[in-house]
Amino acid sequence: MSLSIQQLLENKGITPKPEHLELLKTRWEGMQSLRSNLEGIAIDDADIAVRSIPGGDHIDN
Amino acid sequence: MMQTSPYVVFLEVITLTTDLHLKSVEELAPLLASKSLSPVELTKAILDFAEESQPKINSYMAFYREEALARAKEVEQEILQGHYKGMYHGIPMALKDNLYFKDKITTMSSKIHKDFVSDYDATVVEKLRDAGVIFTGKLSMHEYAWGITNNNPHYGPVRNPWDLDKIPGGSSGGSGAAVAAGASVASLGTDTAGSIRIPSSACGIVGLKPTHGRVSKNGCYPLAWSLDHIGPMTKTVKDAAGLLEVIAGFDHRDPTCVNVPVDNYEKQLTGNIKDLVIGINEEYFFNNVDADVEKAVRASIQSLVDSGAKVEVVRIPSLQYAEWAELVTSLSEAAAIHHSDLQKRPQDFGDDIRLLFELGELPSAVDYLQAQQVRRQIKQEFTEIFNKVDVLISPTLPVVASTIGDDFAELNGQKVDLIDNIIRFTGPSNLTGLPALSVPCGFKGNLPIGLQIIGPAFKEGRILNVGYAVEQANPQRNRKPNIFANI
Repeated sequence: MSLSIQQLLENKGITPKPEHLELLKTRWEGMQSLRSNLEGIAIDDADIAVRSIPGGDHIDN
Repeated sequence: MMQTSPYVVFLEVITLTTDLHLKSVEELAPLLASKSLSPVELTKAILDFAEESQPKINSYMAFYREEALARAKEVEQEILQGHYKGMYHGIPMALKDNLYFKDKITTMSSKIHKDFVSDYDATVVEKLRDAGVIFTGKLSMHEYAWGITNNNPHYGPVRNPWDLDKIPGGSSGGSGAAVAAGASVASLGTDTAGSIRIPSSACGIVGLKPTHGRVSKNGCYPLAWSLDHIGPMTKTVKDAAGLLEVIAGFDHRDPTCVNVPVDNYEKQLTGNIKDLVIGINEEYFFNNVDADVEKAVRASIQSLVDSGAKVEVVRIPSLQYAEWAELVTSLSEAAAIHHSDLQKRPQDFGDDIRLLFELGELPSAVDYLQAQQVRRQIKQEFTEIFNKVDVLISPTLPVVASTIGDDFAELNGQKVDLIDNIIRFTGPSNLTGLPALSVPCGFKGNLPIGLQIIGPAFKEGRILNVGYAVEQANPQRNRKPNIFANI
């Protein structure tokens, strides 16, 4: 099942401006083309970029 | 010997001093320190010019005339009593309207926050106040800092002092226009994809995005948490170095702040760049650039080479995904911040940012996390590059300022998407968090051109020194805009 941009947004309780729908589609497709296939990027690398720092935001020595 | 009142000395000097609003901090500070110039007279001169220029450039959101003059009198006494604190003591400044002032309205130039009052000062506001800065008001910005035109639907467009029909760039366009015109001696901007460097380039001033974590963001309304930075926007490189020294430093209240000692940046401005290795990345940072912009930037690089620097061509393959990673990260983080208002009162956002918030609801969690993986690899490649070169140099923007109301830029005779092109060269330094400086290096007609210098983490002193060398070699460095030229 493929949801339209309008449906996707409405499912989140967001009503897009009707005149934005076409622009949103164009911009979203533009972003997808920038993404391409991420060739050369180790996207499945287990060393994920998001970190958790135990002990709070700053660790003081 | 007859004693002369310091006030009389102030007045005598003021009568001989014209165009105070055009002077930089490095020119004004010695006059203030030597008691040759009164902070009261300086503040009055800046406020007078700022109010006079407001109908032309629309850079201010609010003026603090009465309390600025009262504070200037206190500062005057401090200086007269021999308690001069340093370069920014007695300097009048207005700040971008997303930095909190205790018990004052901070609007983010939005309708939704038009009456928002913070109950605390931002850390940078505290630090500037402690350094003796006199606040003259708050400056306009692109709504919620989410755009690059400063064409604000609620408060009107900010105009570029070099050409009132052109945008000042954004999102810190009020800061850019005010500093360039002289309505604020210096200012601060915030930068998530280039919002310090873009208006600095477009308005012909110096803009520094420090290393992520170098300056506390406590008390700054966020646009995208992991990409946001606060930094100086000034008339000269020396002013930027001095201002960074005031605002930099660790702060427990900002979870992204990094505990690294603050350098004496001003002392590093020797202009000596002998044996400096400049990295040039042709594929990304010199691809699809306006011919006049490219010519000016390459001429500046040549002037550095003539002074003893060397150039090395470098490759950074993962940069091809930088734009995607920047967009997914910034759109998602910004949409998360404004999600509730987008559900409940979308009509209160300007159309342009409402569209961006709607777009930010579309990437999946997987998209966001993959963007962070891309980001990590871009960071690694930059780290490796900085083992070979000292700095990277590029144009700040591929184009000069566009016309207010246009959603396109002119690039070598072609109309190209404005936002995509404006952030192309600035965005990567938000992803990496590395410091980046924009310095004026020439003009296309009467519109300024900026050159960007990127350095390794926490090496702000190095990029400032290279910027200082660029500034000193620029034969047009003393050119000023005149917003009243056509009256």
